[in-house]
Amino acid sequence: MALLELRDIWKRFGVTQALSGAAFDLRAGEIHALVGANGAGKSTLSRIISGHIRPDSGEILLNGTRLRHTGARDAIRAGITMVTQETSLAPDLSVLENIMLPRIAMPGRLDWRALRRQAQALIGEIGQSEVLRPDMPVSELSIGQRQLVEILKALALDSRIIIFDEPTAALSPHEAEQLFGLMRSLATRGHGLIFVSHRLEEIFAVTDRVTVLREGRIVASGLATETLQQGELVRLMVGRELQDIYDRGGRSRWRTDGAVILRVSHLSCPPMVRDVSFEVRAGEVLGLAGLVGAGRSETIETIFGLRQPVSGTIELDGKPFRARSPRDAVRAGIGLIPEDRRGQAIVPDFSVRENLLLAHLGARSAVTLGYGMRGAAVRALLERLELPERRLLDANMLNFSGGMQQKVILARGLVLAPRLLLLDEPTRGVDIGTRSSIYAMLRRIADEGVACVVVSSDFEEVIGVSDRIAVLSDGASVAELPAELIDIEKLGMFAAPRSSAEKTHTVLGELVARYGGTAYWMAAEGGRLFCFDRVGDDPSADPGFVTGGFPEIAATAIAHAVGAPAGALHRAADGARPTLLVPISGKRGHSLGIVGLTFGQAPADFDAAAVTQHILAALGERRDAPNETRIEA
Amino acid sequence: MTPMNGPATSLTGQTGAAPRRTLLTLLATQIELRMSLVVVAVMAVLSLISPYFLTLNNMLNLLSQSVVVGLLALGQTLVILIGGIDLSVGSLVGVTGIVLGLSLHHVPMPAAFLFCLAAGAAAGLVNGLIITYGRVAAFVVTLGMMSVGRSLAYVLSGANSISGLPAGLGALSADSLFDIPVDFLVLIACYALCWWFLNHTKGGRTLYALGSNAEAARVAGLRIGTWSVLAYVISGLMSGVAAIFMASRILSIDPIGGQGLELDAIAAVVIGGASLFGGRGSIIGTLFGVFVMLFIRNGLNLLNVSPYWQGTAIGSVIIVAVLAERLLSGARRRG
Repeated sequence: MALLELRDIWKRFGVTQALSGAAFDLRAGEIHALVGANGAGKSTLSRIISGHIRPDSGEILLNGTRLRHTGARDAIRAGITMVTQETSLAPDLSVLENIMLPRIAMPGRLDWRALRRQAQALIGEIGQSEVLRPDMPVSELSIGQRQLVEILKALALDSRIIIFDEPTAALSPHEAEQLFGLMRSLATRGHGLIFVSHRLEEIFAVTDRVTVLREGRIVASGLATETLQQGELVRLMVGRELQDIYDRGGRSRWRTDGAVILRVSHLSCPPMVRDVSFEVRAGEVLGLAGLVGAGRSETIETIFGLRQPVSGTIELDGKPFRARSPRDAVRAGIGLIPEDRRGQAIVPDFSVRENLLLAHLGARSAVTLGYGMRGAAVRALLERLELPERRLLDANMLNFSGGMQQKVILARGLVLAPRLLLLDEPTRGVDIGTRSSIYAMLRRIADEGVACVVVSSDFEEVIGVSDRIAVLSDGASVAELPAELIDIEKLGMFAAPRSSAEKTHTVLGELVARYGGTAYWMAAEGGRLFCFDRVGDDPSADPGFVTGGFPEIAATAIAHAVGAPAGALHRAADGARPTLLVPISGKRGHSLGIVGLTFGQAPADFDAAAVTQHILAALGERRDAPNETRIEA
Repeated sequence: MTPMNGPATSLTGQTGAAPRRTLLTLLATQIELRMSLVVVAVMAVLSLISPYFLTLNNMLNLLSQSVVVGLLALGQTLVILIGGIDLSVGSLVGVTGIVLGLSLHHVPMPAAFLFCLAAGAAAGLVNGLIITYGRVAAFVVTLGMMSVGRSLAYVLSGANSISGLPAGLGALSADSLFDIPVDFLVLIACYALCWWFLNHTKGGRTLYALGSNAEAARVAGLRIGTWSVLAYVISGLMSGVAAIFMASRILSIDPIGGQGLELDAIAAVVIGGASLFGGRGSIIGTLFGVFVMLFIRNGLNLLNVSPYWQGTAIGSVIIVAVLAERLLSGARRRG
């Protein structure tokens, strides 16, 4: 029998039909993925299960009996908990108090010693005794650790059903692996887990069954994950091939002909932005990629004058530029589409027309409104964005879907005909149809000579939509390279937080300290080499690339070692640059890149096999016999 | 239909629903319409209960009574629109009145007016700067200013009322134009100017945007700091204007003058449909709010209701007005 069953769920928000007859079932001991594109209704459905939203109609059965919860508290009492990305923890309370918060809220005396014992036991159960101490204040924990606390909170309540809503959005690959391990062990112990995500690789990595939503309808229910192909799942989610929505109509991607509109050098605005440099040309879409917390939003907010830089320079059209307020930026021809639409963009008490003209008002110096002078521009924009003018302008913004609102905010940025457009997560909470029209719009804007900077957490989107990509990690730009040269995996390695790449960095440092020469962490693919990190500056041992570089392999000084068997020193034809390359693999056999060592003159006591074993022991999670591996380009 | 047309479909849904605009949604979206209906209803009820209510004399009397609280409510509207509150206006009427009275004994009337207005604006400037740039809650800052203002009124006047004011001052409220009192015409002029400001100038729209979503206004490049300060400056200035008209009516200035008027002003704004969270409200609504309050108070007087009971009546009206506003705006949000 199903642990949880939902039948014929309908839900409507204003004019948006969020769910139309959705059904879902969850068995004990399984991880069930709830997938769909942005705006498909997966969050609505999971929030109905967790009691945060009440459906307009439909039935929820828990262990076969009808559940009538009227709020999240009832759901929690029934054993259903949601672990969200925006955590519901009280940051000023300790880990212990947070885990036991529902208990603390109950009447009666508290036995703190018993509570502490229980909390310790729970932390031990999920194998975190070394990292999580009950007395740590939650405000000092990383996002990953906070999620663990939320899971512990669910366990303390004895929840049978735990919903994970996009849990990995802010996690490093390592933390995500850890979370998946924990999810598996919870499932083994008989919990039913619902996993909401739009990241395909995660769905295949961790779930047992998949239910797919599209535009509020269930298009596939409870399919066994192992019988599915990626392409099939994508088709189910979007109703067509994914490439189509990023279609660029034959537009060449890598342009160097436009004038440089924006040049950012060593920009610093602590704590989030430490050392960011990149440039954008007219007619170009630059993607700012990175994990949540890498400082991408903060970087463009600094350019736009919402934050004040501490050091570094910003040049606009070759002239130094510093916005003391957004007003300066707007007047200098910069448009910003902010990340938080509800918080930073929409003025809820204004009509669509006034919302659309808000930036015009900001740029205007006269006393009067001057809305009339923008009439033609507004009409043209609405037409381009496929927004019907007649009904729209007097209506209230909040009555529209996320996609529609985003189009209006995009139009607001375009009314002033900016030269530089900064877009922060432009498709968050936007349905797939609107997404593709936003992408098309973006390309058209760029073709008209506007320089565009797009921030996105979605690696697939940022690669699909950009011409070039600048990768940020922990507040510093680590690479700037053409989008067509990079894939999601390599982007992930560039973007890995320095904290998790630190282990690699330390190993590289040790190698250089012990043997001299240069050590580096890289990947090789499609005839190019991507350098994620490099230590050592001995010019005689220069491998021919630096951190963030992506040269053609033939143009580097270690071309002779690539393609040769790994785990041994290889010299170039003239005997120079002896080089050792060691490929590193993760648990599931996926590549974690290559660690390399290059010398001007190899030390006499250098034992390639022993060094290879040392590197694998320090960094690899799977120890293949390296001699059988060849470094393929 | 392909997903590409998704948003257009939902919009068509909106288009189809729009013609069925009910009276409720119309009332929910038009504060002015709603308020004018309330005013007419109150007038109708009162004229049925008391034959004296709708007489010319009583009406002229009411017009004159509306001036002082009306001026204060105007400034208060701007402050409430940005999500703030100004509790100091009543005591600022007191202290600016004293400044006016003392000046009148030394300088010509126009210069005395200027001093009085400058004093009000300066107090408003202090409020605005501390609230906006010091990031202290408006409630706290203006509560403090309320205390400071009243205290200064006593200090400056030596706790004595000032009389012997020039006769010319009285003309401001005694004269009338086409049988309408001049002070009321000034009030209407102020409201007309304020209406134009709020609806047709950048500053006015900035105040609305600021109250509705300050962060969005900032990102759009509006000068939210400047306008936030100016709202309090205007509110202080209006206290000065109110002090002038109050003095002209009674030809005597008391340091206790204006006491409690801040609550009347806030009540008028709230009855007039403004949201205390900011972003929503209308200056016409406030004017109607002023009259609803005056009418009810006047009606209770005409009916010989004990003044002790009048507070209960007015208080209930305020609470019911805010409750109705909440329900209606809820209906609009859902609409």
